[in-house]
Amino acid sequence: MVTVLIPLLIAAGLAVGRMHATSAEEILPFRFTEYRLENGLRVILIPRPGGGLMTYYSIVRTGSRDEVEEGTTGFAHFFEHMMFRGSKNFPAARYDSMITTMGANANAYTTDDYTAYHLSFASEDLETVVMLESDRFQFLAYDEEAFQTEAAAVYGEYRKGRSDPWESLSEALHRTAYDQHTYRHTTIGFEADIKTMPGLFEYSKEFYQRHYRPENTVLLLTGDFDPEEARSLIDTYYGSWPSGYVEPAIPAEPEQRQRRRVDVTYDGQTQPLLAVAWMGEALKPSSKRMAAGHMLGEWLFGEGSALYKKLVLKEQKVRHLAVDFGLNRDPGLWSVMASVKDKRDIRYVLSEIEKTVALSIQTAPAKEDLTRLKRRLRYSFLMELDTPDHIAANLARYAGITGGIDAVEQLFACYADVTATDLRDAASALLGKERSTIAVLTGRR
Amino acid sequence: MSSYVRPLAKMILSAILLAGCTPPASEHLIPFPDKDDPIVSLRLWIKTGSQCDPTGREGLAALTAAMLTRASTKVHSYSEILDLLYPMATSYQATVDKEMTVITARVHVDNLEEFYPLLINAVLHPALLEDDFRRIRTDMINAIEKGLRYSDDEELGKAALHTFVFEDTPYAHPVVGRVASLKKITVDDVRSFYKRWYTGDNIVIGIAGGYDDALIERLQLDIAKLPVGAPTPPGMPAPNEIQGLQFLLVEKDCKATSISMGVPIDVLRGQDDFWPLFLFNSWFGEHRNSSSHLYQVLREAQGMNYGAYSYIEFFPNGGHTHMPTPNHARRQQLFEIWLRPVRHEHRHFALRAALRELQMAVDSGMTQEQLDLTKRFLDKYVRHYAKTAFDRLGYAMDSRFYGLRGDYLDVLRKRLRRVSLDEVNTAIRTYLQPANLKIAVVTKGARAFADSLVTDAPSPVIYDAPKSVKVIEDDAFIQVYPLAVRRENIRIVPVGQMFR
Repeated sequence: MVTVLIPLLIAAGLAVGRMHATSAEEILPFRFTEYRLENGLRVILIPRPGGGLMTYYSIVRTGSRDEVEEGTTGFAHFFEHMMFRGSKNFPAARYDSMITTMGANANAYTTDDYTAYHLSFASEDLETVVMLESDRFQFLAYDEEAFQTEAAAVYGEYRKGRSDPWESLSEALHRTAYDQHTYRHTTIGFEADIKTMPGLFEYSKEFYQRHYRPENTVLLLTGDFDPEEARSLIDTYYGSWPSGYVEPAIPAEPEQRQRRRVDVTYDGQTQPLLAVAWMGEALKPSSKRMAAGHMLGEWLFGEGSALYKKLVLKEQKVRHLAVDFGLNRDPGLWSVMASVKDKRDIRYVLSEIEKTVALSIQTAPAKEDLTRLKRRLRYSFLMELDTPDHIAANLARYAGITGGIDAVEQLFACYADVTATDLRDAASALLGKERSTIAVLTGRR
Repeated sequence: MSSYVRPLAKMILSAILLAGCTPPASEHLIPFPDKDDPIVSLRLWIKTGSQCDPTGREGLAALTAAMLTRASTKVHSYSEILDLLYPMATSYQATVDKEMTVITARVHVDNLEEFYPLLINAVLHPALLEDDFRRIRTDMINAIEKGLRYSDDEELGKAALHTFVFEDTPYAHPVVGRVASLKKITVDDVRSFYKRWYTGDNIVIGIAGGYDDALIERLQLDIAKLPVGAPTPPGMPAPNEIQGLQFLLVEKDCKATSISMGVPIDVLRGQDDFWPLFLFNSWFGEHRNSSSHLYQVLREAQGMNYGAYSYIEFFPNGGHTHMPTPNHARRQQLFEIWLRPVRHEHRHFALRAALRELQMAVDSGMTQEQLDLTKRFLDKYVRHYAKTAFDRLGYAMDSRFYGLRGDYLDVLRKRLRRVSLDEVNTAIRTYLQPANLKIAVVTKGARAFADSLVTDAPSPVIYDAPKSVKVIEDDAFIQVYPLAVRRENIRIVPVGQMFR
């Protein structure tokens, strides 16, 4: 681990930046700089010398969560596609040709909480990338024909996913678990809304003006670059981007008081799928209860869990046990999903999940099990930091949800502090039946 | 970097360490040391694959590999193994392809000492128990009956194409096998497959990252405990010649049509024609890249689907990965075009559009401008193919397979710079014949589609959005583009009968 600090010049006239080093207790094995431009744009620089390649993430803190207007589910994702349709200064063909000439690996993805645009490229092309990226974030321009053609491509993307039964299950689960909050729909959106997207050309311009603003955006650079040069380029190219972000009013989800259930029929053959999901906690990196709740997923349903060994290995009634106790900006669903080999065992598997949860509320885990869990969390994280790409990809979620990456250290410090009793208390507070939703998917034949 | 104590390694400390040098690559070893890398990557290449499955026992190579990596050893039950791996947040797994089986692992150097015996026990002392066998075999049967047939039409289309193109060869069946043959396989079959192919002389050790030289010594000593002997692999697959457009239509009650088409090619890495063909393919259909010509036409201009790409080497799991995955080296490759799902009513049009683009590419070749741009693109882009030591190790293994000297990606960049336009256009004409292809289509209403194909029925496309004059003009040609399909060249198979 690097323990020696190398001073970094901070450009005058801008908001104060902070230099982060690493220490033995910290999880991030590198130093980084985080600062803000006057217009609110947040920048995180993580230099990793060697290799000649770097990765550039532009993270807009808008995702399907922000789709508050009726009939616009899936729009954040659709709009991500439009960001590749050119600007006043660089029409699509010119943009594509410049990316091609650089041999950059460029792409984007949209999640429930944020949208990330990422490029990996040779470090010598940094200025071109800053120029192109800052340009499309400020001066995007496309015509209605391009807009409508892209809507058709997005419908194609929806179609390619439809043969996956897990997607059907997830869609039904969210729709059932939420009444008000926009997590009610998945990121791709409802089919009916995707069909009407070609008519939303004017709305798309408004969407861009509202969400694609510096205060709502984080730049994350990793890899082999000179941080001073990067900083200077970012100041030059993004400095005049006007602020003006207005946060949408996301409807709060009323407290759930009763278990819900939905049954889905899948068009085709599939193993039955069962999901049990609880209303989770929003990412609060300094909250021990949130950290403990997050750990419960791995502890109760992960590959090392007693339940996995019983249902998958010993009894062989379940083929996959998948767990997702994810990090979200607002309370997301914390779920366990099982593909059950025989339809007749669905009830049994559900009862085993319930028994597991009930036990976790009554009994705290043994000290050595908790140590093993903490060690696993630590190495799971560290193993995924091996390239600039992977570092950026793993930190993007924290940046997208919280605006920075301080949350990583805070969260891991919380994990370290969590006691066996904390885990039991978190299970008691968060995994009650009344906070849960069950979804069952079965094949048609 | 964290300290790491290696007691056993010290006991067998060799002269190599004392001399302070890394053991050089040898016939059975590919080392990639990097002391600053806290991750140690391991790849154990066993020279066997699904082509070695005995007839009627298709899936045996994959099942055997899984019995090593997802099951008990003579030292620990699988449940105990999971317990031991759990705090290290690591695992070992097997990738099985037609000709290669590779057991891979990535482990943090802090955990190497704890991890190593687990991996070695899996390779040297698999328990091959009936209980594990039942679980794994059921999973594999389900992977075909519920997974391949029903949960991912894109993969289904591609698997159908490969089976179709390589029928009557050892490449024909999917690596996972066939339902009937899996049901026939017994634990004894696994035992004999393991005994025959997992020999010391049939394994190449690859290791990369922050390991200690003594670890290599230890690995070599351990692998040498396996029986001696290197079995002979099957002969080179000889796919049937393709005359005309031949169709395999998979009838399925699906929401969109998936189309894959291809022709076998025997141009491999290192051969003179490989580099020009590589350049052409990148221009025509670089995987999931908007620079691709097909993508520009089918998706960007026509909005037909989510993307369209082409390949000159097998590219597994294309729906989920952006960069190629190493360790799928083969003696026989496939030129393949993959159209992501299109609406059923656009299937004939999309197929015509893609075949017309291929025909135009063969007729006109690439232009100097296109070639120059593609060269500039690839010169940097191929660096993204292998960013981790784990990937680079995989590529080095593939180079060993192909008899290629030097780092493949370095060689690739150097060779691509030297390729002339004439070489590219000659290679296109030599290897690609758009009139002679096999085409696999997963669709609803296969019989009606077959009728449209045979009669070359016009297939006008109605867009949701207004289109440019150029697109409309092209469409007029595409919708009546003749394919000259003969009825006897169309086979219709219900999805439930695939991979039986």
